[in-house]
Amino acid sequence: MKKTSSTISLNNVSKEYVLGDGSVFSALSGVSLNIHEGEYSAIVGPSGSGKSTLMHIIGLLDKPTSGKIIIGDRDTAKLSDDQTSKLRNRFVGFVFQQFNLLNKLTIKENVLLPVTYAREKIDFDPEERALFLLEKFGILSKKDSYPNKISGGQQQRVAIARALIMKPQLILADEPTGNLDTKTGNEILKLFEDLNGEGITVLLVTHEPEIAARTRRQIKVLDGKIVEDKK
Amino acid sequence: MKRLLAIYQLLKSALADFRRDKIRTALTSLGIMIGVLSVVLLIALGLGLKNFIEKQFEGLGANLIMIMPGSGISGGLGAGLVGGVEFDEKDVRDLQKIPGLKYVVPMYFRSVTISSADKEVVGYITGVNEEMFLLQNTKINVGELWGKTEVGKKSKVAVLGYTKAEELFTNVNDAIGKTIRIGSLRLKVVGVANKTGDREQDGAAFVPYTTTFGSLNPKKTFWSIYLGVPSDELVMTVSEEAERILLKRYDKDEFSVSQQSEILSTVGQIFGIINIVLVAIGSISLLVGGIGIMNIMYATVTERTREVGIRRAIGATKRDILLQFLTESTMLSIFGGVLGLLLAAGIVLLVQIWFPVALNLIAVVVAIGVSSAIGIFFGVSPAKKAANLSPIEAIRYE
Repeated sequence: MKKTSSTISLNNVSKEYVLGDGSVFSALSGVSLNIHEGEYSAIVGPSGSGKSTLMHIIGLLDKPTSGKIIIGDRDTAKLSDDQTSKLRNRFVGFVFQQFNLLNKLTIKENVLLPVTYAREKIDFDPEERALFLLEKFGILSKKDSYPNKISGGQQQRVAIARALIMKPQLILADEPTGNLDTKTGNEILKLFEDLNGEGITVLLVTHEPEIAARTRRQIKVLDGKIVEDKK
Repeated sequence: MKRLLAIYQLLKSALADFRRDKIRTALTSLGIMIGVLSVVLLIALGLGLKNFIEKQFEGLGANLIMIMPGSGISGGLGAGLVGGVEFDEKDVRDLQKIPGLKYVVPMYFRSVTISSADKEVVGYITGVNEEMFLLQNTKINVGELWGKTEVGKKSKVAVLGYTKAEELFTNVNDAIGKTIRIGSLRLKVVGVANKTGDREQDGAAFVPYTTTFGSLNPKKTFWSIYLGVPSDELVMTVSEEAERILLKRYDKDEFSVSQQSEILSTVGQIFGIINIVLVAIGSISLLVGGIGIMNIMYATVTERTREVGIRRAIGATKRDILLQFLTESTMLSIFGGVLGLLLAAGIVLLVQIWFPVALNLIAVVVAIGVSSAIGIFFGVSPAKKAANLSPIEAIRYE
C-alpha cells in the first residue's frame, strides 16, 4: 500500500475514567497513531485492553482525557458537539458487532438514515446510492423488509451499506464478525477486503489474531498502550 | 428534498413507535383527550349559557328601562324578582308624565294553561298595552296586532307567540279567528307573531293588560313596567326621574330600576367569571394529561437509549435527538387533542337539540394550541435527557 497523507492521527492520547470508588482507571495511556488513506488495518488485543476505547476515540464517539486527534488538519478537541456529529456523519462509517440497525425502519430506510442527518448538500442521489449498495451486497430484494426479519449476515451487510452511504473516508468496524458464524464472518471480511480494494480506508477492531492477520497492518493494544504495530 | 425526508423520517419514526405499542399510545393520548374534551365542553357550556341569557334580552331594545319589584336583576341573577311591590295603574300614569319618554308599558305576566278546542298547553299570558309591540319590535306572521282601541275596550283578543300557536293549532294560519281559553277568559286569536327565538315571547299570549283585570288579575296590578326612551343619552336621566317618582310611594328596596344595557353587561361579567372558573377546572385534567405524557416520554427515552446511541453514531446532533422526542410527545398530545375536540364537537351537536351549547373557533384554536403546547412543554425535559445522553454510553446500553 503506498503511503499517502494521514487520514487521522492520534498524538499522545490518554483516556481515564473515574470509577465509583474515586480511583482512576486508565483505559488508554499515551497512544500515538497514524491511520493513512487507503489502509486496511486492525486494532487487536484481548478484551479490556483498551482497543474499543481507542476505536471510539478515533470515531469521535468519545473524547480523550488528554492528547490530540487530528483529522485532516483540524484538531478535534476544539470542535463543538455539532461539529463532531457532522464529522461522524460524513467522515466515519461505523460497523458494530451488534449490527445496531433500527428494527422499526425498513432495510432501505436504515441505509438512508445517515442522509437525514447530513448538514450539507450531498453530491449524489441518496436513494440511488442506497439501492446500488444493497444490490452490490446482494440484499436488494430485502430492501423493504425489516432488520429482525433477515439473517445476521444480511443485517451486517445492511450495516455496512449504512456505513458507506455518505461516502466516508474511514470505515470503523468493531468486532464485525463477533455475532456471526465462521462462514458468514468470512464473507463479511471478504467484503471489507473488496471495499479496501476500491480504496476505502478500513480499520477493524478484533480480539481474534486470525482475523487481524487478514489485514495489512496489525496494531496490538495491551493495557491501554500500543505494544506492536506490524505492517 | 432532504428537509422533507428528515420531517418524513421524524413522523414515520414516531408513528412506528406508536404502532409498536398501541395501548400505551392510546392511554397516553387519553389523558390529553379527556383534558381537551372537558375544556372544550366547559367553554361550550359557558358560551351556550351566555348566548341563552342574552337572547332572552335581545328582542327588547337597548334603550329600555325595566322597573321591577325587589332588587331586580342587577343585584345578581336570581337575587331579586321576588317579593317587593306590585305596580298599579297610578304608577303607570305617574311615569307617563316623565318628559322625553317614548313608551310606557305596564306588564302583567304569569305562567298559565292555554287551551284551544282540542289542546291544552302551558304558556304565559302577557298583559301589556299596544306600545309593547313597538318596544319589542314585534313582527306579525299572520293576522294582525291589536291596538290602543282594544286596550280601551278591554277586548278579549290575543296575539299568540309562534311556538304556542304551532302547539295549539299545528298550522299557525289556522289560529286566526279561533278561540283560546286561559282560566275563565275566552280570547279570540287575532294574530300570530313571528318566531323570535326568545322563549317568553314565542310562548306567550299577548293580551291587552286591561283584559286581565278580573278573575285573573283582580288587584289590577303589574309585575313590571317597561319604559322605552328614544336615545341612549336619555336612559340615565329617565331612570333617575322614574326612581324619584316611585320613591314617593315605595321604599328604595321594594323596587328596582334597571337598564337593559346594564343587565347585559352584568350578565356578560357573570359569565366571564363562570367561564374562567370552568376552564380552570378543565385545565386540571389537561395538566394531569401532560404529566402522563412526560412520564411516558421518560420511559420511552430510557427504552430507546440504544437507538439514541445509534443515531448519534451516524451523525445525529443533540438537536436532532431533541426534535425527534419532541415530535413524538407533541404528536401524542395533538392526537389526543384532536380526538378530544372531535368528541366534544359530537357531544355539542347532540346536546344542542336540548340546550343551546355553542362551539366557537376560539375553543378549537385553544384545544389544538394548548395540546401542542402541552406536548412540547412536558416533552422538553425527557427529550433533553435523550439529547444529552453520551453517545458511547447510549450505544453500549443493553
